[in-house]
Amino acid sequence: MRDVKIVSARFDIDGMYRLDTALKEGAYSTLEKAFSMSGREIVDMVHRSGLRGKGGGGAPAAPKWRLVADDESGLDSVVVINCDESEPGTFKDRQIISKDPHLLIEGILLTSYAVGAHDAYIYIRGEYRPFEKILRRAIDEAYEAGILGESVSGSGYRVDITVHRGAGAYICGEKSALLESLEGKRGHPRLKPHAREPEWYFGRPTLVNNVETIATVPYIVANGPEAYRGYGTPESPGTLLFGMSGHIERPGIYEAEFGVSMMEYIERYGGGVRGKAGLKAVIPGGASTPVLTADEVKEARLDYESMRALGSSLGTGGMIVMDESVDMVGVLENLLGFYRYESCGQCTPCREGTGWSDRIVSSILSGEDDMGGIDKLMELADTMNGKTICVFAPAVAGVIKAFVEKFPDEFRAGRGGGR
Amino acid sequence: MSRMVEITVDGIRIEAQEGRLLLPVLLENGFGVPYFCYHEALGPDGNCRMCMVEIEGSKRPQISCDTFVSEGMEVRTEGESIESVRRRILELELINHPVDCPVCDKAGECSLQNYYMEYGLYGGRVGRDEKLHAEKRVDLGRGVLHDRERCVLCQRCVRFCRDIVGSAELCVAGRGERSYITTVPGRKLENDYAVNIVDLCPVGALSSVDFRFKKRVWFLETTESVCHGCERNCSIYADHAQDFDGVERIYRFRPRRNDEINGHFICDEGRFGYRELEERHMESCRVAGADSDEKEAEAKARELIERASSIVVTASADLYLEEMKAISEFALKIGASLHIPLDGYDDPDFSDEWLKCSCRASNRASVLESGIDTAYPKLTSSDLLINFDHPHISSSEAKRLDIVSLEMDGGDEADVTLPLSVWSRRSGTMISRDGVRQYCGNILPPARNERDIYGWIDTISRWKDES
Repeated sequence: MRDVKIVSARFDIDGMYRLDTALKEGAYSTLEKAFSMSGREIVDMVHRSGLRGKGGGGAPAAPKWRLVADDESGLDSVVVINCDESEPGTFKDRQIISKDPHLLIEGILLTSYAVGAHDAYIYIRGEYRPFEKILRRAIDEAYEAGILGESVSGSGYRVDITVHRGAGAYICGEKSALLESLEGKRGHPRLKPHAREPEWYFGRPTLVNNVETIATVPYIVANGPEAYRGYGTPESPGTLLFGMSGHIERPGIYEAEFGVSMMEYIERYGGGVRGKAGLKAVIPGGASTPVLTADEVKEARLDYESMRALGSSLGTGGMIVMDESVDMVGVLENLLGFYRYESCGQCTPCREGTGWSDRIVSSILSGEDDMGGIDKLMELADTMNGKTICVFAPAVAGVIKAFVEKFPDEFRAGRGGGR
Repeated sequence: MSRMVEITVDGIRIEAQEGRLLLPVLLENGFGVPYFCYHEALGPDGNCRMCMVEIEGSKRPQISCDTFVSEGMEVRTEGESIESVRRRILELELINHPVDCPVCDKAGECSLQNYYMEYGLYGGRVGRDEKLHAEKRVDLGRGVLHDRERCVLCQRCVRFCRDIVGSAELCVAGRGERSYITTVPGRKLENDYAVNIVDLCPVGALSSVDFRFKKRVWFLETTESVCHGCERNCSIYADHAQDFDGVERIYRFRPRRNDEINGHFICDEGRFGYRELEERHMESCRVAGADSDEKEAEAKARELIERASSIVVTASADLYLEEMKAISEFALKIGASLHIPLDGYDDPDFSDEWLKCSCRASNRASVLESGIDTAYPKLTSSDLLINFDHPHISSSEAKRLDIVSLEMDGGDEADVTLPLSVWSRRSGTMISRDGVRQYCGNILPPARNERDIYGWIDTISRWKDES
């Protein structure tokens, strides 16, 4: 296992958030090269790099870029940066905007130029106020220096960035709900289109990408797609800002290439499981990915394909590590409390299912439930799976199923008191 | 888009327009698919997830309200797997529902209740104490009350105000199972079509103060009718029932779909137009400004007719076409001139860009078609005016005989006033401002001891002949 820093290369430099330091350290050095190329050439570069969206879904980035770049509506396209980082266990984007905000701005400029957009919006999680301040300051500095605005670094190409702060709804991290919210409406996910098409912001073709995805673009433009492909696996090229929280010696964000062993990652960067209790389980990529048992963790490799083969998902790469002291029913109840609160309430299975499943697990936890609760819970998970507009409810269903199936002894009836 | 293709539904082959939404096609062809949020006028929203069907080739069940018809599509609305999906989603609609059907006005015409009877019929798995509770009586404005416990959050009401009326007073607030429909902060329902959301509500969440607790719907009989509020002639249903006192009453008007006129909706004023039929119904005869018994009034009226040498007849522009014709013939026969003046019906404050017309003469088009003189009559050279229900005839030098269905709001009192049965007890043809002809049958039977237009024409003709 080798150390690699692509997005986090400048995280440890003191004062990186200031423009003068950032310029000294090479920020915005890709702009000249980019403006000497056509936007289409940059899209091709991203395509060849195999860059995958780093917000959790892991879909290849370039096809989305093409949909916007190729749009023939004649309307100005828009780039929207998803910085509504609300997934429990995930805190990577906030590292970028607070430690190296100019990297994100540089990425936005490259992306906007590539897809032909002049207006970019950063939708930032409402609770990220302190980090938002740093980001806004960086944007202000970039405007003052002529890096942003009418003529980006004297290129004649206009890019304006607007920061929009969310009001604190998890669902607004879903791209279509985010756009609804950005349009000033209630953050309800939109019905899926019937054909492949870009997203739409006030009727304009729109690219929505995660902060980290965009922050990876400067590296690809500077070093070429092959350099990025030099890391990771053929299917999951490059790196991700993986992170750890929970029962770990050194929780935090540590970049690594795709395909490394999860256990090795935890040992090398996290210093292993804290205390003496030993590893019990890991939620691999944010709360909405199915939990892995200690045995599965030993097998797990940190790339999209391996995690899918294990019946889970890489998600955001934010691992929640749990030791043997943890009551899995309590963990599920904790998570369901979150989902119950955060369901947008649009689709019936999610609106009612998240609440009911939380109530059922609470009754199992308190020992009030007879054996019927688990059957009801599993049936409910089935009803929530694949029957809603967005993937919120299916994710909850996957979470419930993994907990119940992998820790059956703890979900037995009459467990008497719980915590 | 308009190509007809063949699709198979539950093994039955049907023809459908390519690219149309599947749900309405299924419904039109008689397949039972439950739904809450979809509505023909509002389109799909995809939130209730009730209209799921299986489509060959799709891994998962699909909502038929957001699926387009395509050639050779194979659809299943029946079978254990899809029925179980439907049953479970329906169960989720009910877990926090108060099931207070015995005191709910919607009972009997409630989609949730009907679907439960059709697809559910299971025992509740959530105890009564476990249910979430919410406000039962929130005044949204314009006489519309909201019961948050009964609401299934289909958002039809929100979409109606936003997409159809454009006033957008309603929104969803809260999140998850605590979501609720409410008015936007600082606002109340204030549009002139607001009460339509009560009809749109598929459950008992929205009720109209006007109808709330008045009648169980299974006692109501429904008659197709036409609104008399303005020259738009919106098609309506009139729901009526015999009361415990034996009197037949109208309980509500509801919009009746008519794509040529009003689509799916009516204005609130038209909806409540049934009230005046009872409240302002002219029941007694009047002579020289005072109530009088029938015999005396008729004797006085007869005297007026017998003494008159030159008669002018006026009639209301709300009468049915056939009634106008009969009055024309009557006027011709007695050598009188006939006028239906239209000026007084103009009400610019009432009109809007949608259904409400400034001309409140509901059968104005029939007046024009009949070729009746619409000028205000010159009364100086006549000695008797016979007025059939025109509400805007002012004083006359001549003597005056009024035949009136609703009490006049002010104006000049006739020498003799005789009661005419109200429009809901008469029948005939109406022509809308856009030329659409509708036959408007009587909602209630003619009242005893009350005469309609033909009855009065007969009576007066007889007096005239005998004089």
